[in-house]
Amino acid sequence: MASNIREAGGGTPLASFLNSLPSYLLRLLGLAVVDGLAIWLLYLLIRDQVWPLAAAVAVVTLLVNAVNLTDRLYPLRWMSPALAIIILMVLYPILFTVYTAFTNYSDGHLLTKAQAIRRIGQDRFLPEGGLTYRWAGYRSETNEIILALVGSEGQTFLAVPGEPLQEITPESDGIGAFDADGFPETIEGYTRLQMRDILPILDSQLAPLEFGELPDTVKIKSIREAAQLQPRYVYDEELDAMVDQMAGEIYYADESQGSFISESGRVLSPGYQVTVGLRNFQRLATSPALRGPFVQVFGWTIAFAFLSVATTFALGLFLALVFNDPLIRGRKVIRTLLILPYTIPGVLGVLIWRGMLNQHLGVITTNMVNLFGWAPGWFTDPLWSKAGILLVNLWLGFPYMMLICMGALQSIPSDIYEAAEVDGASIWQRFWGITLPLLLVSVGPLLVASFTFNFNNFTVIYAYNEGRPPIPGTPTPAGYTDILISYTFRLAFEGGRGSDYGYAAAITFVIFLIVATITLFQYRFMGQWEEISENV
Amino acid sequence: MNKKIWSLISLLLVGMLLLAACAPAATPTPEATEEPTQPVVTEEPTPVPEEPTPEPVEPTEVPMTELVVWADELRAPIIESLGNEFAQEFGITLTVQQLGFGDIRDQLAIAGPAGEGPDIIIGAHDWLGQLTANGLVAPIDMGGRESEFLEAALTAFTYDGELYGVPYATENIAFFCNPDIVETPPATWADVTALAETLEAESGGAVTAWSIQTNDPYHSFPLFTANGGYVFGLTEEGYDPTDVGLDSPGALETAKWLEDMAVAGHLKPDVDYDVLHTQFESGAVACIGTGPWALERIRTSGVNYTINPFPAGSAGPGKPFLGVQGFMVSAFSENQLLAQTVLMEVFATSEFMTGMYEADPRPAAYLPVREAIDDPDLASFAVAGADGLPMPAIPEMSSVWEAWTNALVLTISQQQSGEEAFMTAAEQIRTLISGQ
Repeated sequence: MASNIREAGGGTPLASFLNSLPSYLLRLLGLAVVDGLAIWLLYLLIRDQVWPLAAAVAVVTLLVNAVNLTDRLYPLRWMSPALAIIILMVLYPILFTVYTAFTNYSDGHLLTKAQAIRRIGQDRFLPEGGLTYRWAGYRSETNEIILALVGSEGQTFLAVPGEPLQEITPESDGIGAFDADGFPETIEGYTRLQMRDILPILDSQLAPLEFGELPDTVKIKSIREAAQLQPRYVYDEELDAMVDQMAGEIYYADESQGSFISESGRVLSPGYQVTVGLRNFQRLATSPALRGPFVQVFGWTIAFAFLSVATTFALGLFLALVFNDPLIRGRKVIRTLLILPYTIPGVLGVLIWRGMLNQHLGVITTNMVNLFGWAPGWFTDPLWSKAGILLVNLWLGFPYMMLICMGALQSIPSDIYEAAEVDGASIWQRFWGITLPLLLVSVGPLLVASFTFNFNNFTVIYAYNEGRPPIPGTPTPAGYTDILISYTFRLAFEGGRGSDYGYAAAITFVIFLIVATITLFQYRFMGQWEEISENV
Repeated sequence: MNKKIWSLISLLLVGMLLLAACAPAATPTPEATEEPTQPVVTEEPTPVPEEPTPEPVEPTEVPMTELVVWADELRAPIIESLGNEFAQEFGITLTVQQLGFGDIRDQLAIAGPAGEGPDIIIGAHDWLGQLTANGLVAPIDMGGRESEFLEAALTAFTYDGELYGVPYATENIAFFCNPDIVETPPATWADVTALAETLEAESGGAVTAWSIQTNDPYHSFPLFTANGGYVFGLTEEGYDPTDVGLDSPGALETAKWLEDMAVAGHLKPDVDYDVLHTQFESGAVACIGTGPWALERIRTSGVNYTINPFPAGSAGPGKPFLGVQGFMVSAFSENQLLAQTVLMEVFATSEFMTGMYEADPRPAAYLPVREAIDDPDLASFAVAGADGLPMPAIPEMSSVWEAWTNALVLTISQQQSGEEAFMTAAEQIRTLISGQ
């Protein structure tokens, strides 16, 4: 004990060392190492044109330097790793999502412009009348590589980079006898390359070589063939355009679309990322999805979130009250059993329920049919589907509510109940007048959080029935059990021409604003309960 | 994102942690100097001129004769063992990395541009629209060996006039019938209706002729093609996204037939994969359409079955979707010619393709192996898929599934007439494609 106190006082050798000059220098060195790492990282990020992450890393690095070098920011020193992690792992993803909402990041626009130019520049074509040969490689002592080419009519040529092709005949000018394929077996000063020699250098050394004279140079096309290939598209920096060498068409970079587009409207693949301003938001605002069943979907989203919270809270509270009574025997065991649904992953829980409710094989459905001769269409009827989802979500959610209610019930002082009893209050009066208001003070924020969670509870909706049954006659596909997030997920990822991350980010941003507004109002409402608790 | 970048970020965080841990004990320094102006940190890094950025792959890291292959758990082991055995002869080592089949496509989009990706991937032909739109795969030069492959498989792997894959297997559904219930499988969809009436009358409704997954339009395609219906019009240049065919006369004829089946009580809604197979295996349904993936399950159940081509409609026999799997070369590979060489010299050989077939039996796309299929079931699948249509690979296909599924569900659950449901679906698809 005593030694602990002494350490905290700063009298130990370690503490005095930390305050000494060598330690200060050591820390400076440490900071230098961190800065070095950061600069290396920044270099890589800037080279790869990952601007947002580069900005985030720069901010973090400056922060760390400021904190470690300024004595006034001393207390922040211990917080700096946490701050750095918050910036990189929480703040950055949020800001990146917002940034993405203003870009065209989507299938077809995943690459940067430089990457797209490089990729399009890889395309090659064989011009009209272009010749194709079979080839064999030969290497000189000085590591120069020449090819022997055999044309379609059987003539053999010697191809040297920068010199015209030269037809050769066997046994002359240092050329040895030809093999069955028409390649010279030996060339003076060169050794013939075998498959094993060629493969390691195929892409790195052979592929870039151009044999013969411009413009009819021959390039290696595959392990067996070489041809008078030309690059199909060449980037022209002046025009900021890709020029089609085959058709002569010019594809200008369109910075608002993020694609190379020709005057006749043809678009080159792949496109690249650009910022598009408010276009994603405009698209959302004018989307036919908003004209259609949007109000219906929005209404169900609110209803789903509200009813999920209300039902789980009601059941959880009821069970917590019941098992709070010491007269009930074996309550610990029962409580433990009741918490079990909480320990099963949500998706699994939903899938099990799907099985039990299945119209043809499900335990619940078949038993209902046997007993009553009727069972609801848990997945086909709009109303019963909604009921089914609420039922499943109730099963998944009540243990949590039970847990927090059990805890909160302990915090209500028992003398209030005694006073109420003396005043002759009934059980109901005690519940409505004391238990519920006081419970809501502590549980209220959690209910709001639960509402927010269910508002975006994509997992349950999708696992249950993917938002179906479908609503007939909508402009874009929509289902009766679709909530806002599942409905719009489909717009961004299952429509148009594949996944559109920019659009998805814009939708997320708008949904965030909606949820934030609702949550704000709920907290206002909850604030009223706070006042009650102050008066108790 | 580059792995190196993530390692650097973690290193950076650890460094900061150390710095904080080694901070000295509190030394009160009250000498607050005048507002030390915090550096403004919003400075955007000045844009680097448009130079073709080199890929962050150090050539020294990978020996030049090593190729990275991405494959799923079914095929990774066989490529690792058999592929390497043959590749060794050329002095090439194949490093096989195992990913989930769908992850291969998604991860390639991330790892490829970052220079961390594979040289060769195994994939499905219907990824091509997305892969080429994103510039992730490179064209393949077969060097005149096209005739060794199933033509439909090559067509499937051709996109915008370029071949992007060496196909190795095809996959399609076929018409399974239980010979204990129906001796000769129905030849037309009208026969299916008649069979349903007979069987239900005989069994008091316990046994019916045919059933289908309500929310899976993939399995309903042969019904539509039998009457001349289609999803996207097929032109010489491939599928045409401006020609949506779910409301074509043939498709509406099929919709009407489905509606009639549902109204007559022959076709029940809310049937999923498990229900469908349980019905078939327990003898409650005489015929279903399903694929080779269900073979093992059906064999294990002990039910008798025959595998047949789909019944015909007004436009001829029903054609299923054809799915083709094959090998593709990453456009971000530094060794594209080498990767192509492996594809053509190592993979496109009878020995390797036979090995693949034995490890994961499905009709091969490589003709010498396809013609030698000794499994009668797989041979029947190959026959049923002989006229199969390649599943559209164009990215617009992503707009189709949900709308089509909904139309099917609405028709079979009798909430809308077949005609209404499919007219709506086609309109929805056009709306989604136009994005307006």
